[in-house]
Amino acid sequence: MKKCILSSMLILSIIASLTQVWAQEKQLTASQILSKVDDVVNAPKDQDLKIKLILIDKEGKEETRELVMFQKGSDKRMVKFTSPASQKGIAFLSLPNDIMYLYLPAFKKTRRIASHIKNTKFAGTDFTYEDMEAKRYSEKYIPELLKRDESHYILQLKPKEGIVTDFSKLVMWIRTDNFYPTKIEFYDKGNNLYKVMTREKIEKVGEYWTSKESEMEDLKAKHKTKMILLDVKFDSGLSDEIFTERYLIR
Amino acid sequence: MNRCLFSIVVLLICFSLNLLAQENESSLVKWNGYLQTDNRLRLEKDNDFSWNEYRLDLKTEVKPQEKARFYSEVWLRTFGFPSVQTTNDLIDKDKISPLNLELREAYVDLYGFLFDNLDICIGKQRIAWGTADKLNPTDNLNPDDLEDIWDFGRHLGSDGLRISYYLKDWKFESVYIPIFTPAVLPYGDWSSALFPSIELPSGLTLGKLTDNITIPKNDLSESSVVGVKILKNFFGYDLSLSYVYGRDDLPLTKKITLSPTTTPGEVDITSELVYPRMNIIGMDMAGSISNVGIWAEAAMFFPEEVKMTKDLSQLGMGKQESVALEDKPYIKYVFGADYTFKNGIYINGQYLHGFIHERGDDNLKDYFMFGLEKKFFNDKLKITPICGGIEIKDFKDIENNYAYILSPEIVYYPIDNAELTLGVRLIDGKNTTTFGKLKDKDELYFKAKYSF
Repeated sequence: MKKCILSSMLILSIIASLTQVWAQEKQLTASQILSKVDDVVNAPKDQDLKIKLILIDKEGKEETRELVMFQKGSDKRMVKFTSPASQKGIAFLSLPNDIMYLYLPAFKKTRRIASHIKNTKFAGTDFTYEDMEAKRYSEKYIPELLKRDESHYILQLKPKEGIVTDFSKLVMWIRTDNFYPTKIEFYDKGNNLYKVMTREKIEKVGEYWTSKESEMEDLKAKHKTKMILLDVKFDSGLSDEIFTERYLIR
Repeated sequence: MNRCLFSIVVLLICFSLNLLAQENESSLVKWNGYLQTDNRLRLEKDNDFSWNEYRLDLKTEVKPQEKARFYSEVWLRTFGFPSVQTTNDLIDKDKISPLNLELREAYVDLYGFLFDNLDICIGKQRIAWGTADKLNPTDNLNPDDLEDIWDFGRHLGSDGLRISYYLKDWKFESVYIPIFTPAVLPYGDWSSALFPSIELPSGLTLGKLTDNITIPKNDLSESSVVGVKILKNFFGYDLSLSYVYGRDDLPLTKKITLSPTTTPGEVDITSELVYPRMNIIGMDMAGSISNVGIWAEAAMFFPEEVKMTKDLSQLGMGKQESVALEDKPYIKYVFGADYTFKNGIYINGQYLHGFIHERGDDNLKDYFMFGLEKKFFNDKLKITPICGGIEIKDFKDIENNYAYILSPEIVYYPIDNAELTLGVRLIDGKNTTTFGKLKDKDELYFKAKYSF
């Protein structure tokens, strides 16, 4: 009997040790976590979204904008405003290597825009041109794991050398179950928190996790912009042609 | 005329309502536009109103299928001031409240026409070439619309055909405009500033001034305007090369005839004006250095020679021959940069050699245009405290050959789709310069715009 108990204890301790080793192997690094975030956020081959933006000022007054957004992979994005009338037709194209174009229908002209515009407000919203870019965080930021709890990883992201951005760092909350980022804090060059993005209504659409409502709040201006997905289509086979100046002016 | 205009307006409204109804049923047809008021008040002398415009802009867009698109833009305006001089004029609404209807554009786009990579555009259209900010030496296909000289870069649409072919990241564009259309000259005082005054022999005074303009014959060789352009991105910079076979759209005096009147020492002048043929080679680029946006644009003009005859034979002084425009090439160019500071201040500067109306190497002046703006209260208010230009006619004697314009402006966006603009234009300089001739024309302006 005693021999039997000893054998069982030995087997259990071997299993426990193996489990610990396996768990340690499963302990992801910050870079792996961020890479998984990129994979989840950019998982669809392409995205065709109809979006409503609600701008809310500090007195609670609301203004609405509507746009369509197309994205292919993680580095091509096209955004076109459909309302209000004063902004209808304004379109923004973001391509790899920081190449961005803006189409202003009033001038019948596509304008190449330089990266200085990246941190200015996009059409009066709390999203900047940089926020509207298609990107992989892991290509632009160096991550550091600050904390891990039951539900979230918390990463600090600092821009890589040579990356043009107004942020000194981002702090990102990531769900442990699906690696979807639920909250991002944006810190300015003085290391002050000035913008917070939260993502809600995170649901699976087809095979992909997506947030149907997100909000960007500018803490300094006490102004926020709510982004609501009205229509979502993934992997509809968007042509590369959409992400060209040719399509931008249509 | 009024009845005709009224009928057109009624038709237009019916058409718009019909489109609106259709838009509700399906989203194939879309329409939008804006209403804009524009009033300007002179700051000198009697505070005359110098501009009075109420503009209704209507745009219609129809996309019956993915590969076709119709677009049109119409302006319906009350423009100008009552021109009533007799009681008979009081029954003429055109003289009481001048109404103006203008078809700015009306064209059809066909995408993937014959080949997947080929797009064509047929109809009255604006073809805006050039990367610079509003002042574009390579933008020579559409005639200049200088009616409002402050609306830099405004052109008329041209009836024509544009073919665009895309091959990887190359774009080839060719344009054919069968009928030459002259530019619209500035309203009010600006025409006199843009064109040289006629010098009379000493001791003579001017009686009546008349002119005759010779428009190119409406045939294939005389009237046609052709343009081709190649665009490509090299190492992150957008570059293009273009060629235009066209005409100068501003008239050039070819002959002046002076004839004596019955008043001793007074002469009448008759001038003849033509639109010289031009071959224009252009290039432009846009990109960034670090995070500063940069652009440059240049056009080399190869004009046909225009000889000038001053006929004084009726005064017994014979004829004087000279050259109004040499057939020597000249280059107009512009380069500029813009930048947004961390605090949101946006600055923009451009250096321009050769303004719209200037021709010939010896007559091109230098201009530096600049602007600084910042938005406040979540983009509800835009203040442009510094905006304007400096003209230098002769760098060797700047003191006597300069002029400047300052045009600070405030734009307020009280609600979505509405904007109110208040600004002032202050002009000073020497009479030898283009802007300096208008130094006593400072003005205050107010615009209200609502988009729908």
